[in-house]
Amino acid sequence: MNEQEQRHDHDAALKAGAYASDAVSHRSTDAEQLRRLKVLHTITTSILSITDFHELLNNISMESVKFFNASGSILRLLEEGNLKVEACWGLCDDIKAELQIGEGICGQAALEGKTIFYNRSETDYVHPATESIEVGICTPLKIGDTLIGTFGLYDKMTVEGKTIPFGEEDRITLEGFASVAAIVIEKSMLYEKALRQEREAVSAKRQVEELKDYLQGLIENSPDAIVTTDLDGIVTSWNDASEKMFGFSRNESIGKFLPNVPHFLIDTEKSYIEQIKRGETLKDLETVRKTKDGNIIDVNINMAPIKNSSGKIIGISRIGRDVTERKRIEKDLLRKNNELSRLLFISSTMRGTLELDRLLRMVLTAVTMGDGLGFNRSMLLLVDEGRNVIRGAMGVGPANHDEAWEIWSRLSMENKDINTIMQEIELGPLSKDSLIDRLCCGIDVNLDDDTVLTRAVKEKKPFNVTDVRTEPLSDPVLIQQLGTMAYAVLPLISRNKVIGVLWVDNLYSRKPITDHDMNILKGFTDQIASAIENLRLFEHVTQAEQELENIFESISDLMYINGRDYSIKKINRAVAEKIGKSPDEIIRRKCYEIFHGMDSPWELCPHHKTIATNQPFVGEVDDPNLGGTFLISSSPLFDKNGELTGTVHIARDVSEIKKLKEKVASVERMAALGEMAAKVAHEIRNPLLSIGGFARRLEKRLDSDLREHAKIIVDEVRRLEGILNNTLSFVKSSVTERREVAAADLINDISTLLEPTVNDRGNVLSREVDHSVTLLINYDRFKEAILNLVGNANHATENGLITIQVYSESVFSEPDLLGHRAEGKEAVIEIKDTGHGIREEDLNRIWDPFFTTRPTGTGLGLSITKRIIEEHAGRIEVESKVGGGTVFRIYLPLKGGPA
Amino acid sequence: MKILVVDDEKNILKLYKAELEDEGYNVVTANSGKEALEVFRAEEPDVVTLDIMMPDIDGIQVLRQLKQEKPQIPVIMLTAYDYRDDFSVWVSDAYVVKSSDLVTLKATIKQIIEKK
Repeated sequence: MNEQEQRHDHDAALKAGAYASDAVSHRSTDAEQLRRLKVLHTITTSILSITDFHELLNNISMESVKFFNASGSILRLLEEGNLKVEACWGLCDDIKAELQIGEGICGQAALEGKTIFYNRSETDYVHPATESIEVGICTPLKIGDTLIGTFGLYDKMTVEGKTIPFGEEDRITLEGFASVAAIVIEKSMLYEKALRQEREAVSAKRQVEELKDYLQGLIENSPDAIVTTDLDGIVTSWNDASEKMFGFSRNESIGKFLPNVPHFLIDTEKSYIEQIKRGETLKDLETVRKTKDGNIIDVNINMAPIKNSSGKIIGISRIGRDVTERKRIEKDLLRKNNELSRLLFISSTMRGTLELDRLLRMVLTAVTMGDGLGFNRSMLLLVDEGRNVIRGAMGVGPANHDEAWEIWSRLSMENKDINTIMQEIELGPLSKDSLIDRLCCGIDVNLDDDTVLTRAVKEKKPFNVTDVRTEPLSDPVLIQQLGTMAYAVLPLISRNKVIGVLWVDNLYSRKPITDHDMNILKGFTDQIASAIENLRLFEHVTQAEQELENIFESISDLMYINGRDYSIKKINRAVAEKIGKSPDEIIRRKCYEIFHGMDSPWELCPHHKTIATNQPFVGEVDDPNLGGTFLISSSPLFDKNGELTGTVHIARDVSEIKKLKEKVASVERMAALGEMAAKVAHEIRNPLLSIGGFARRLEKRLDSDLREHAKIIVDEVRRLEGILNNTLSFVKSSVTERREVAAADLINDISTLLEPTVNDRGNVLSREVDHSVTLLINYDRFKEAILNLVGNANHATENGLITIQVYSESVFSEPDLLGHRAEGKEAVIEIKDTGHGIREEDLNRIWDPFFTTRPTGTGLGLSITKRIIEEHAGRIEVESKVGGGTVFRIYLPLKGGPA
Repeated sequence: MKILVVDDEKNILKLYKAELEDEGYNVVTANSGKEALEVFRAEEPDVVTLDIMMPDIDGIQVLRQLKQEKPQIPVIMLTAYDYRDDFSVWVSDAYVVKSSDLVTLKATIKQIIEKK
């Protein structure tokens, strides 16, 4: 219905209404009834022409207001038990609220199921919703006995605008109207519902179409291969991605059995189809598919049933994804991760090891273990710079194929991981007896050779020898001893210096060594090198520490370390011996208690001074408590922050030296006196000599008185010379003083003096002394004579033997007049060397003063020696052979022997 | 028999020369260490008596030089002081302390010449 038609209907209704109101007062009941029917017809016609449900309801409200001359109407429909306003006319908004059954006028009508009249003037209670209403009438809308709503009219007006109550006629008309309206409303509601259903169906259909397009697009543009088949695996759809992934075109695939399933998987595929038929969905199948080129690719497939609208399974969808790349990356990632964690573990374990052999074993085990780097055999060779060689240090690996299999199968059965094995190496006993280890330790390659091993060292480069037959620089020693066919060598570089090489091969598995292997090994060798270097440094430090400790302990001076608080922290053996207590009784005690026997620090103590000044102190201290004179040095010890932590003391007992010094000083004084005496002698004796000498001459030539006078001069000079001699002999020690000396003591003295010099030339000094021999000698002079002889022997000999022998033998004097020989004893001192000997022509001249065969010799030694021996009434003989050594024999008469 | 007497004191040289000539020796003298070596080379004496304390070259050095040039030459050290603790003089053939009584010296010379 258009707008114009609506207006026409409206006008017609108004005319009918005006006519009806006249009829109420002036026409007969029949006419009234007829008019009512006409009106009803008009209304019904007009409302039936309306298709829109809400417009219909509005129309009912509007038309009835006009017809009944009311001020307003309200149409409520029952929805979920409540009366909800669906349409109204002429009423203000506040009465449009929803009402419950029994509430207000409408509620009452709905509750009672009959028409209700309302007049405010006759009611005590006024419902808030009906406050503005004077009078009203409300009737329920029913279809049969079913309540569908209510319809009310309010405030009937006269033509003059006066409100009048609704009458019985109004009730009959309204009820009639309501029964028609109810039917119309119901029909209209059904129609509305049908219309809505149709609209929904259309919209649903459109949505399905859109979804289908969308899905189609999705399928076509999906990067995943989407394939559908029937229940026999015959392809029904094949998207672009499938074409791309498998190489088969859509035409080649549709209508045929899945062309991308490899022959060996067809049975599996059929079993999958059976599962799908049972309604299962298969997710994330990791399998393979074949391409048109015949390549096998890794795929991940999801399979699901396709059902028709009745839920029957009519096909299968497959969504496949090429996971070759992902798989590769996954594998790579996994391997890298494993390798990294292994390397990390190995290197951290290695760094915790403090023995080189264990470290090397760990490294090699890590390199050969399946769980490690997995090489068959490996060796470590270390550079020996001193000998300019590279030498095998340790090898790990099976001796032959049988052993290899035996080890591999045992390891896989024991299922030990690298962690356990490393721990076993670190803590368990270390055996070094495998064949490869023995072979390895025999390898000794000169660095001047040009081979793969030496190049790895010299060029600091790894080498991968893939076939020893084609590599001219292959190491013959490795091929011969280890039977290697292909191997890799990697330098171990620490601080830019090659300290050794790592060697690996796969003799038993014949697995080629790949670039990847080389890269892993390279990362590993850096770790090994620095671990070995660290260990070596550690060993050096330990050794140095040990040496220091040994020096500290064995030094004969007293050495001790004091803390700031005068407590003794460390002492050497000499201190313990000097104090006469064990180190436990000394350490932690106060130094002034132990060393000086005092209760508080000693003022003169060098430690005290060093603590006070932070400066080193050196001084000679007379310590009455220790009973001697000590040369003490006290040096401050600082921590790394420069704080003084204590002092280190070195104390030398110089009591003996002091005595010697005093002796020397006295000798020097004597020497000075002697020198003065010599001067005096010269200055006085010479003039005395002239005076006396010439007086003697005069005495001889003169007579009587003059002769007497000359004699007086001679006598007086003699007296003066006598005084002079006596005076001089007082300052001079007697040169001829002799005493008895045990030959053994003399030779001991000499050995002590000369042993270092003798040893310097690689000679050995041997002594065979008869302890019963006692010599009567001027000790110092005689010692000089023997020193000369032993010194000469040492000069003539290198890396040889010098023997001093002392013994006694019987001698017989020349026969006397009666032919008797007196028996006596002689001491023989024999000095024998294994040196170059004396030439025969020189033998006679050796005793001459200034004769020498040595460029720096004075030539006086043997002359002086001979003179000393003669002074002691002895004799000396020599026996020598060029190249055969020399013997000097000194013969000295013993007491009771011939003089 | 020629004897070279070396001493830095002229009076002493004069005394020795007179005394030894009286004994029948041919006596040449030198007044210093340096002169001693010159005279020794020029005169080729049979015996030398040598003072030790001399200003230019001392008697020990002269002794060393003489023995190097002619190892067999007998040298008698004739000094005012007893130097016998000094090993260097030990290589001389005899040692006589100066005394106005020349008996010891004359006896020593006689002994040495006889030994020769």
